[in-house]
Amino acid sequence: MKQLIQATIAILVVSALLFYAADALSAGGGKSGKDTLTIFNWGEYIDPDLLKQFEKETGIHVIYETFDSNEAMMTKIQQGGTAYDIAVPSEYMIEKMKEENLLIPLDKTKIPNLKNIDPYFLDLPFDEDNKYSVPYFWGTVGIVYNPKLVGNLDFSSWDDLWDPSLNRKVFLVDGAREVIGMGLNSLGYSLNSLNGHELREATDKLITLAPNVKAIIGDEITPLMINNEAAVALTWSGQAADMMSENEDLDFAVPEEGSNLWFDNMVIPKTSKNIDGAHAFINFMLKAESGAQNADYVGYSTPNIEAMKLMDKEVVSDERYYPTEEQRDTLEVYKNLGPDYLGKYNELFLEFKMSIR
Amino acid sequence: MKKLSASARVYLAIVFIVLYAPIFYLIFYSFNSGGSMNNFESFTLEHYIAVFEDSRLLVILINTVIVALLSALISTVIGTLGAIGIVTVKNSKMRNTLLSLNNVLIVSPDVIIGASFLILFTMIGIKLGFASVLLAHVAFSVPIVVLMVLPKLLEMNKSLIDAALDLGATKKDVMMRVILPYIQPGIFAGFFLALTYSLDDFAVTFFVTGNGFSTLSVEIYSMARAGISLTVNAISGLVFFVTVIVVVGYYFITSRASKRTGGTQ
Repeated sequence: MKQLIQATIAILVVSALLFYAADALSAGGGKSGKDTLTIFNWGEYIDPDLLKQFEKETGIHVIYETFDSNEAMMTKIQQGGTAYDIAVPSEYMIEKMKEENLLIPLDKTKIPNLKNIDPYFLDLPFDEDNKYSVPYFWGTVGIVYNPKLVGNLDFSSWDDLWDPSLNRKVFLVDGAREVIGMGLNSLGYSLNSLNGHELREATDKLITLAPNVKAIIGDEITPLMINNEAAVALTWSGQAADMMSENEDLDFAVPEEGSNLWFDNMVIPKTSKNIDGAHAFINFMLKAESGAQNADYVGYSTPNIEAMKLMDKEVVSDERYYPTEEQRDTLEVYKNLGPDYLGKYNELFLEFKMSIR
Repeated sequence: MKKLSASARVYLAIVFIVLYAPIFYLIFYSFNSGGSMNNFESFTLEHYIAVFEDSRLLVILINTVIVALLSALISTVIGTLGAIGIVTVKNSKMRNTLLSLNNVLIVSPDVIIGASFLILFTMIGIKLGFASVLLAHVAFSVPIVVLMVLPKLLEMNKSLIDAALDLGATKKDVMMRVILPYIQPGIFAGFFLALTYSLDDFAVTFFVTGNGFSTLSVEIYSMARAGISLTVNAISGLVFFVTVIVVVGYYFITSRASKRTGGTQ
């Protein structure tokens, strides 16, 4: 009995000490209590230094939380429970959140640094006139490959994926829009096509790719490519950048026929309790210095022109991540197809998946 | 104890290698200055320093331990009382029903428990954060404690209680001096199992965290999306180290307890 009581007391004392330690650590940025900003972002998607800088500059205490998928993020925002002031969804999710009335329109007078953003990345179909969102990072869909394992192919064309030498060597991301879009692009069609014939043709062409496909998977592609266990993968440029930083052999290409341009944008959810603070944070992140520092840390492509001037020349002139205007003209942002056509895309993707043995 | 045959020893060695190799592989690379798990360049402590410099990560680590300790403690108290309650139920049909209900909670998927907690908490207006995570962890740990304490209670001889009552013990004395000391090993086992359950739970925790409160499992999961960085290795190494200390502590507690009961018998 004595032991049980001793153990209980010991646990309570240790917990109290830890509580004290955690409190001391998190209060490091100045105890403001009332004026806090809750940010919901992807994992490892910001330089923690920037948060400290922001706290110092504005005196607003930042609570930072992470999520690992757009869907999970939206569920938590919809459910309430936490008052998130900033979230960073991808473009298709912004459209969905707009429809569900989960976002607050931005007050542009409070975001003067918006002028630093390349106009090319503004006023896009998923959020016209940037009423609700401001670009955070962007990228493309393309092919990451290991030159040691694929021979002479350079994937300047999508058709290279159909090369017989790649039998059972191709990995695809598990996304209907990405894969069907690739099929459409390879035929020279728009990846937002609503034309039944084009979709049919693209799917038929994809089915002939089946012998080359080894698997359709998600994030597991990263370790497989890094460890030289896979030769070719269709993936997003951000993921490709991660792979290439771990394995120097790898290369990334966006085929000439065109591809998808994706965005992760900052938005202010309806749950926000500190709308002024949220605007201040967005403005802070759009500063040239912050943009450059963040892009250096995270390794994705920044939409901030002024920031690019401050960055390493070698990085911003790398056409794999910062395509030239000419290349950009071939890129397309996903349009919201509406539930009917999204269903059609999913159905065709399923048909393609079933053709793989 | 009988001596193991050579083949049995080899088998045992292989089992332990398979179990421990990934952990040591991971910890080994946490000292790599190369920045990736591909080739070992040279020894460095920079990843550990990075963990200690990132106060957010440290707070999360501490939060994880606090939640584990407190939820295990609370669920041990509730679970022990629950187990005693179940044993005292005379009607065997009723008792079996209670036990089955307890077991259903152990086998039901974490995702479903997590989602239902999220709905419950937001419905009754509990703010997501420390309290909600603690409550959820207590809830899924209680059935485990019940299951660890029950065998000890069932194994206890009823006449022990009768004898104590005959000798003039009050009900409180019976509880404090007979039942609790007897089932103490079960209580400790329940506590430590609840502790580990809480430490590594992702699915339930993910749903009920919020307002800046996070635990290690949730954090590592979203970090891993951008590829496993060596900071994750370093933090996993630290957690492994803490676990070893806890296990050693558990060993000392149980060996002291068994020595004591051995002495008085």
